Amino acid sequence: MINLKIDGKNIEVEEGTTVLEAAEAAGVYVPTLCHHPQLTPYGGCRLCMVDVEGARTLQPSCTLPASDGMVVNTNSEKVLNARKFVLTLLFSERNHFCMYCQVSGGDCELQNRAYDEDMTHWDLQPNWQPFEVDASHPFMVLDNNRCILCRRCVRACGELVGNFTLGFEERGADSLLVADYDVPLGESSCISCGTCVQICPTGAIIDRQSAYKGKEIDVEHHVGVCTECSVGCQRDVLTRDNHLVRIEGDWDAPLNHGLLCDQGRFLPLEEDRPRLLTPLVRKDGSLKAATWEKALEAIEAGLGKGKGLAALASTRLPIEDLALFKSLFADGLEAELVTSLEEGFPTASLAALADATSDPFEDSLDALKDTDAVLSLELDLVEDHQVAGFFIKRQLQDGTKLIVADSDENKLADKATLKLDFKSKFLDQLLDAVENGSDDDGINKAASILKEAEKPCIVYGEDFAAQADEKELQALLELKQALNATLIGVKGNANSMAASQLGLDSPFKSNGYQSAFVMLGDEKPTQKLVKALEEVPFVVAQAAYGSQLTGNADIVLPITMWAEQSGTYLNMDGRLQEAVKALDAPDGVLTSQEALLKIAERLGIEPETDWEASLKSRVPTIEIQKA
Amino acid sequence: MSKPTVASDWLCGCAGCHMSILDIDERILQLVELVDLRATPITDLKEPDEDGVTVGILEGGINNTYNEEVAKKMRERCKILVALGDCAVFGGVPAMRNFCGAKAALQRAYVDAESNDSEGKIPSDPELAEMTHVRAVHEVVPVDLFIPGCPPDADVIFYALTELAQGRIPEIKNDKLHWH
Repeated sequence: MINLKIDGKNIEVEEGTTVLEAAEAAGVYVPTLCHHPQLTPYGGCRLCMVDVEGARTLQPSCTLPASDGMVVNTNSEKVLNARKFVLTLLFSERNHFCMYCQVSGGDCELQNRAYDEDMTHWDLQPNWQPFEVDASHPFMVLDNNRCILCRRCVRACGELVGNFTLGFEERGADSLLVADYDVPLGESSCISCGTCVQICPTGAIIDRQSAYKGKEIDVEHHVGVCTECSVGCQRDVLTRDNHLVRIEGDWDAPLNHGLLCDQGRFLPLEEDRPRLLTPLVRKDGSLKAATWEKALEAIEAGLGKGKGLAALASTRLPIEDLALFKSLFADGLEAELVTSLEEGFPTASLAALADATSDPFEDSLDALKDTDAVLSLELDLVEDHQVAGFFIKRQLQDGTKLIVADSDENKLADKATLKLDFKSKFLDQLLDAVENGSDDDGINKAASILKEAEKPCIVYGEDFAAQADEKELQALLELKQALNATLIGVKGNANSMAASQLGLDSPFKSNGYQSAFVMLGDEKPTQKLVKALEEVPFVVAQAAYGSQLTGNADIVLPITMWAEQSGTYLNMDGRLQEAVKALDAPDGVLTSQEALLKIAERLGIEPETDWEASLKSRVPTIEIQKA
Repeated sequence: MSKPTVASDWLCGCAGCHMSILDIDERILQLVELVDLRATPITDLKEPDEDGVTVGILEGGINNTYNEEVAKKMRERCKILVALGDCAVFGGVPAMRNFCGAKAALQRAYVDAESNDSEGKIPSDPELAEMTHVRAVHEVVPVDLFIPGCPPDADVIFYALTELAQGRIPEIKNDKLHWH
């Protein structure tokens, strides 16, 4: 341990702690700009300068390791003057005009730090050299006039996301934030994860969607789990007057620590499907607006029960809804088929394995953040579940090996150490190669990479799970054993695993069903589903948005979209997390749960509402725990 | 002892800061108890007294040779010079034209703008002041007090003027400090 004194306070810290961290631990505030808790200390802006007794000059506290006996002063006149001077230089380096900047008024860290120092103005002139503004990207604007060269965005793009799109060209005062080799951001390798927007301390990278829609002082925060996929990132939904303003990653989240992908951050605000605001009932061949009462009446008359009834639910919906759905249709109406819209493809084979062995065999997603060799099976983490992909991509520069085995094109393959063709018996061959070597060069190389690794990790997705037979899964378990590897099952939608736990994982085959109930939520129906339902004479759809499916349905119930409902989600590695309601639903629109209860009441069924018990009725592929 | 005197003038601004002065509303009665309001753009007297005033207030940045003269005259004739509002403190919105230069700005406004007819021409008359780079007031003359804001709040203006009237230098900080 190290003992040091900061502003007269004695403090003990562990070796390797920086003076800034020690000051924070001692409750001493030191202003920073280029520093960010999720990034490696950089020491670029010099705002965190402190006076260290015996040191010739002021020292940047963010990069200075604390040492025994150190005496630090954070508010001497010399320090305060230096701070103002640093801020003056930062302001005059580029062209900062707060009066027409969208982050002015609380959302700009540069401005806030200047206010903290009681700066009414700065003594030096602005640069006056106009810098480029790059508005080529659909979600972000990059304005070098407001850049303070702190490189937070560049570091976040590389260190956190592993994408390395942003960088600087030129040096010193000419330094220019650019994408790739100075191409417009909108034409660059940017994947629109938006981490740079969220981490930028000024208005140099700004968010187009929320521009001028509300500042920190105007908005409400709703922190909960993202419902776009099974990774289960924590995010903060910002609203103002019952409108979405922006979505940000939660820096404090243990799983995603602030990261989101375009699907979690930007795309939910681009929703342009027509909203359903009233129940619809088919009459004389066409759908007509109706009251809930009339719609329920029509459901009672037409839905039927037992054989001939199929019920399908979206795995984007909360567990509460899925459990209620299952109870209503499986127990109450004894429907012939009760399943999810994913039909168990991402989970069923693996869940059957856990059933057979009575032993959860998968590991935490955290394993993917610290691994030296990854084997990715039939899984493109650039397309979907992107944040899990970030965990891999950002480690590659540190020597982590990536083996991509895919039967199809795979965008992660560009970054892979080894790309192999995934065929049947691949895992058998790999297992054999691990144990005895192989004639196949590729398989042999993969085996030796995985054998040499200290913390190998095997990650697989829906395409693997959907085709894997018992033998292949046995090989997977044996590989885990042989390599001492971690297994990560990526699954599909936000509640894929919950659906699996509830047994909503049977395939939906056209089977001469007489009626169908589709709890679509805000999911976009696939063409396959639309086609399959065309053959069913009576279809009830519960949906937030109009689609071909609702257009063909006989009864449509208007329900909430993701932001209008709370509920529990079980992510790919068994974390139970809460989604938080951020918006009030339009009048007459119910949550899926409320709609199901109405239907149950109408049909005289008392459904089971204890979803926690239902979740435990089956051995999970990974231990379930409250996050 | 006679009351301290205050004079104000506007340069390259939008008059919004003077509107904000008027927004102190009925408190102007308390203010005139404390100070003698002399030349302002909204009083009959247009130039600060030759024998000087206690406080001089300038709104707006300096964008031509005439503004320079006005600023220098105010500086000569006042003991404490206040830069009021973002244009006076930073150059403000008019300073955006520095990125293209006055010539290009004039060309755009008087000739190329879509709303002009084909006879648009840049005004030129020996009596017109010569346009310059837009600057904050302190880039031309020394300033004693900066009150930023676009515009500064009436409350802040009232606070600052009453403090100045009583011989104190106001502290523009915390909730009194904003640059937008």
